[in-house]
Amino acid sequence: MDYVILSIVLLFIGIYGLLTKRQLLKVFISIELIATAATLNFIMLASPQGMGEALLVLAFSVDTAISAVILALLVIVSKHYGTSDITKIVAKLKENEVEESEVETQ
Amino acid sequence: MIIEILAIGLIISAVLALFLDEVVYSVAALAATFLLTALIYVLNGAVFAGIFQFAVSIGTLAILFLSGEMLGEKPSKKASSLRIGGLVGVGFLLSLPAIFLSVSGVSHVAPDVEFGDALWNLRGVDVLLQAIVILTVAIGISIVLFERRKK
Repeated sequence: MDYVILSIVLLFIGIYGLLTKRQLLKVFISIELIATAATLNFIMLASPQGMGEALLVLAFSVDTAISAVILALLVIVSKHYGTSDITKIVAKLKENEVEESEVETQ
Repeated sequence: MIIEILAIGLIISAVLALFLDEVVYSVAALAATFLLTALIYVLNGAVFAGIFQFAVSIGTLAILFLSGEMLGEKPSKKASSLRIGGLVGVGFLLSLPAIFLSVSGVSHVAPDVEFGDALWNLRGVDVLLQAIVILTVAIGISIVLFERRKK
């Protein structure tokens, strides 16, 4: 059993989700998986284990802060655009840009 | 043996969390991922880390359940058992390298240094990687600023 490979597999699942998924909550889940892969290494590869646990606490604090910010942004964006699909949000953004440029030219 | 089963479950639940269409089921699979990670920590002697992982993940999952219910769009059709079985199979296949392969004992940095020691003691690699990340961010910001000035 090799934890390095386990965390690499988790990391690649997370990166694949980050690149291919279009729903904002799925993107958030991908980020959580990447964070889990990173924290797994802190515990399994730390030479004194206490050191790894201490760093894990720091990693969890950062991870939780990131999660809070991402979820807040996610709720704001979803309410503003009425969807949590990235492609639809980008399409609406482009529509807004076109409308703004038309208003400027007038 | 128990840890291997937990590792297989961890990868399968991670795959299900990402590929299930219904957001609530996805979050439930993520909960399983966190729980299995906490169990792996505890079984490897890091009890404190396991409890911490468990506590933090409960908070994250509670908020995720709420926001998943609020923001998640209902899929047009339910996931078939064949698809779920396929996802479990893919997760099982992905977990096999972690069980049967090993890179921890091998290091290309120096022959007598193990991978874990190299990662913790020879910090030059991650300093270099951090420098690359910071450089990339700096280049990205300067490109954005340049584009704005052009407009």
